Amino acid sequence: MILLLAPLIAIAAIGAVVLLLQIQKGGQRELVGSVVESAGQDSRLPSILYFTGESCTICHTAQRPALRALAAGIDPAIKIREIDIAVEPELARRYRVMSLPTTIVLDGSGQVTEINVGFANGELLHRQLVDAGMRVAA
Amino acid sequence: MAVVPFDRSVLKVNQAILMSVIVVGYLVGLAYHPIAWALPVLAVMMLAAVASPSLNVPRLLYLHWLKPAGIVKPRVRQEDPAPHRFAQLLGGVFLAAASVFVITNILLVAWVLAWIVAALAFLNFAFDICVGCIMYAQLVRIGLLPLSREPAR
Repeated sequence: MILLLAPLIAIAAIGAVVLLLQIQKGGQRELVGSVVESAGQDSRLPSILYFTGESCTICHTAQRPALRALAAGIDPAIKIREIDIAVEPELARRYRVMSLPTTIVLDGSGQVTEINVGFANGELLHRQLVDAGMRVAA
Repeated sequence: MAVVPFDRSVLKVNQAILMSVIVVGYLVGLAYHPIAWALPVLAVMMLAAVASPSLNVPRLLYLHWLKPAGIVKPRVRQEDPAPHRFAQLLGGVFLAAASVFVITNILLVAWVLAWIVAALAFLNFAFDICVGCIMYAQLVRIGLLPLSREPAR
């Protein structure tokens, strides 16, 4: 009857993995308020880092179009940098990217102000850019 | 790997078979231990499905019976099948490991591994949470798995 333990052990193992993923996710939230990468932030304007990958379907079908629409409606000097994690794995590691898409909003000094794991719509990103210091035309 | 039309119903059929056989097999196995030999059969089915579409039993079942009969409807998405194939491979490896424990008569470990596969199949079946696909993305990220550079369409 020891076999009765099998589903319980399996569910406990999966629970432990989910817990670890949550802890890792929490680790990424710790980046908010810190400067991960000081280089490349010279405009004093907020910016967005968009982490994507070839196999990420929602990145291509939803996140990229949302960012293009956002870019069309804001100051062209505000950078939206697309980062393929396979091309720049070191940058993804430093920003602790664990899931795609991930969008990270930086203020003018390069400080992380928001981290969006999963799809983030244009309205949300616009609001986050305003919070990070983007001026809105009157 | 290119983004291509991909019928998710094949995956759902595969997951339904996995869950059903493992759960029913486990319940029967509580009284009749030799039923654990269903696990090596499942392992072969999973690994064969990864090896070639023509050996993919759930796919054949879907294409030749479930889809024509209207029992399961197609759910075609534009996506890269590579993460799903990796997830299937992972399930096959877990079941192959379970098979080793069946052969060595360590049934508790065999059923634990099988239940992990069933639980992950359930997550994917019910909530579209593909843990194997997440692992695939992580392995690509840290450079352990290659990724072709064909542009997304």
